[in-house]
Amino acid sequence: MLGMGDFLQYTVIGLTVGSFYALVALGYTIVYGIIRLINFAQGDLSMVGAFLGWTLLVSFGFEHLPVYLALVIAFVVPMIGTAIVNLGILQFAYKPLLRRSLLAILITALGMSLLLQNAAELIWGAAIEAYPPNLLPLSGFFVGPVHVTYVQIALVVASLLLMGGLVAFIQGTTIGTAMRALAVDHDAARLMGINVDAVIRIAFVLGAMLAAASGVMLGIYYVQIHFTMGFLLGLRAFTAAVLGGIGNIPGAMAGGMLIGLLEAYTTGYLSGTWEDVVVFGVLITVLIVKPTGLFGERVAERM
Amino acid sequence: MIARLSDRQVGRAYATVRDRLGRTPYWSRVVVALAAIGAAVISWNDDYVTAVAVSVATYAMLGLGLNIVVGYAGLLDLGYAAFFAIGAYTSALLMTQAHWNFFTTLPFAVLFTGTAGAILGYPTLRLRSDYLAIVTLGFGEMTRITFNNWEYAGGPNGVLGIPWPNFFGYELNTQGDFFIVGLFLLAIAMIFAEHLDHSRLGRGWVAIREDEFAAESVGVPSLRLKLFAYVMGGMWGGLAGAFFATRIGAIDPTSFTFQLSVLILIVIVLGGTGSLPGVLVGALVVVALPELLRELSDVRLLVFAVLLVGMMLLRPQGLWPRIRRKPKPFYGLQEEEPEDVAARILREHQVQMEERDRRHAAAGHKVPAKGEVLLEVDGVVQQFGGLRAVDNVSFSVRRGEIFSIIGPNGGGKTTLFNCITGVQRPKRGRVLFDGRPIVGLRPHVIVARGIGRTFQGIRLFKNMAVFENVMVGLYARHRTMTWQAMLHTPGERKDELRTLQESRRWLSFVGLESMAGQLASQLSYADQRRVEIARALAAHPHLVLFDEPAAGMNPTEKLELVGIIRKIRDLGITVVLIEHDMSLVMRVSGRIAVLDHGILIALGKPAEIQNDPAVIEAYLGREDDDTDALTARGA
Repeated sequence: MLGMGDFLQYTVIGLTVGSFYALVALGYTIVYGIIRLINFAQGDLSMVGAFLGWTLLVSFGFEHLPVYLALVIAFVVPMIGTAIVNLGILQFAYKPLLRRSLLAILITALGMSLLLQNAAELIWGAAIEAYPPNLLPLSGFFVGPVHVTYVQIALVVASLLLMGGLVAFIQGTTIGTAMRALAVDHDAARLMGINVDAVIRIAFVLGAMLAAASGVMLGIYYVQIHFTMGFLLGLRAFTAAVLGGIGNIPGAMAGGMLIGLLEAYTTGYLSGTWEDVVVFGVLITVLIVKPTGLFGERVAERM
Repeated sequence: MIARLSDRQVGRAYATVRDRLGRTPYWSRVVVALAAIGAAVISWNDDYVTAVAVSVATYAMLGLGLNIVVGYAGLLDLGYAAFFAIGAYTSALLMTQAHWNFFTTLPFAVLFTGTAGAILGYPTLRLRSDYLAIVTLGFGEMTRITFNNWEYAGGPNGVLGIPWPNFFGYELNTQGDFFIVGLFLLAIAMIFAEHLDHSRLGRGWVAIREDEFAAESVGVPSLRLKLFAYVMGGMWGGLAGAFFATRIGAIDPTSFTFQLSVLILIVIVLGGTGSLPGVLVGALVVVALPELLRELSDVRLLVFAVLLVGMMLLRPQGLWPRIRRKPKPFYGLQEEEPEDVAARILREHQVQMEERDRRHAAAGHKVPAKGEVLLEVDGVVQQFGGLRAVDNVSFSVRRGEIFSIIGPNGGGKTTLFNCITGVQRPKRGRVLFDGRPIVGLRPHVIVARGIGRTFQGIRLFKNMAVFENVMVGLYARHRTMTWQAMLHTPGERKDELRTLQESRRWLSFVGLESMAGQLASQLSYADQRRVEIARALAAHPHLVLFDEPAAGMNPTEKLELVGIIRKIRDLGITVVLIEHDMSLVMRVSGRIAVLDHGILIALGKPAEIQNDPAVIEAYLGREDDDTDALTARGA
């Protein structure tokens, strides 16, 4: 029975962390779906979001405002700020290369990741910063043997709301339809009168907003943030996106959750040092068995 | 600019020097260049400079290895540091635990990395390129973490106290010594890489990078070649790793991070993907630039990142890009008169055909004589969802004839070609070629059996020169070993020369010899189609499938095409043609098949087809007063 309790406890932790990964993975997937670019700066956008949130809460002292107001500000402003940063990256770094070499644009993305990290170090310093630890009540409750904190519930619910909003946007609005059309065929979409550049911009805005939200959530959950935190987050999220089938939105969510669970179980049952080995081992195995990822459809490459 | 320069005296002199330089063997140029660099660095006599130079050499070696994977074969590898790590640990552990000499550990370092590459590569190389990127990234991280957790290899502390290498009693222990060893290894790596680049294997890789599907369809075994590139690139990484381990004297897992993999990738992209001097330039920039920026300390990496992004924006092709255009590709080859070329092609082709028929008969198969069935399509069905693109089609093509397949758009003609060439597997039915079933074989195997093809939408290797495109078509016919290619042995040289000569003959066969040195993408539409035909013919096929060869051609060009098709038939090659131009079809075809909505509605001689009511209905609908429109269109 104790074994079962451990298992469920790890599951709760895994789903919480997994929902952060899912948010970042969605950013990868949306951008990839539209311009076939692996935006390596995605994880670092999360880091930027986390630091913007921290600046507002701690440096500007918004943590002393009523908690709901503080939270709204700490989420909305970094989301907007990061979206602007990502638009800047798109405009200056990716746009001129979009129709040229895929390799050059990939290197540029890696360069942007490096640039964001070092710019953040310059702005916020190399030290570990801390989110206000008691922004949300630390307490929780027991469901049988499993301890669930209010923070976990709040964060998972917030992630689910964001994901739901994204799906509603993509399925329900004209712009969302345009995004789906673009994912299938750029030229056809352009001929149908879709403003391709505008849709690409919207994809970058959405990706950045999700990344920033997950960054703030990570700050609230783990308390500590650092300018290099985006790397591991980005790596896990990228893995999640591929695991679910890159370009596929439900796939990215499921992939994120799965990676979170894998990580929690590995840490719980094996050791934290083997996390990446297990995660990548599962990824490689899945891809060998099902080369399009768990939910990916068969897409012919340049046929 | 060169052209303008060469009008003047100085320019002409320069051009002569360049030409003469271009004709000296590559290895001598590498040796001279590296010796000059070596002499310069050593005479500087500054330990710091020498140490930086050793690092440049190490990165250049890694870059050359990764260049085979990314630059030549076009496989995106984000975990190259893993090979570096495996090589370094293998050598370090053998030296510290088993007390081997550095030089005896090298073969094992190379062997282990090669094996690791094969184990990872074999199941994953069929993945799409973006997925391959994350798989390799994962492999890199897994390798690092495994070393980090592995007690025997020192865990996070790594392997310490790695001895200096001992070369026949002489201990290499200064930066200068390592620099010389590094330059030596680098020279070998560069010479091998250059030889590979200009071999049949190198052309196969570039063809895969340009268009894997087309490469496979003209006879390049893409999976095997990709695996080969991956393993070979890995082995270079292993060698560089062993060198790194003994030079540093202590290794630990933090030396082999994802950042290193990215840096090596930057080395080759910065220099110009696929370019060997580019790798040297890239390594110099990646190693030396942060050293120069040392004074900026805090913002060093930030400036590096900005410069990197700026570089990519200003010169996405790299600092020293590889250009495959070649002004005089056939320089030094014996000149041949046009009649002579035709005669040689005919003779060569007949020899090939006889050889093939003999082997075929020896294997116990029946060889179809002229006029007997060569290709038999029997009840082939191909279905996409609810749509039957090809519906129970049966016909046979006789050896030596020109057979056309016509029909309205969407009739299933190209799908049928794809079923015959192994691109798609038909849902039902048999395809027999030379009496043997070919359904289920990979496209390159079917090419080797003797079926060549061209594509409806032109699929040339755009960034290769025209003559190289045709040389790729010769891939299946040569048996040069890789070691021969690496060493550029006399046998390989002879083989290459013959390939070049044959590609020239085929180009002159389709009337494009003068364009041979240009990039395929620079040619006009009609000329590109003719290059495709030459590429398909180069393998000396029994049967060629041409998919709308006249599309986009003007009347003169079409007339020339008719001539080429007849010339092909006269060689004894059977031709199957998909074409919409009725006058062309009626003029050249022996027999015609008509496909409509996937169904074979008519089969017969041109005159019969022209008057077949079902065909007229398929083309024009049931308008009785338009019945002669088809004939009118043909005129």
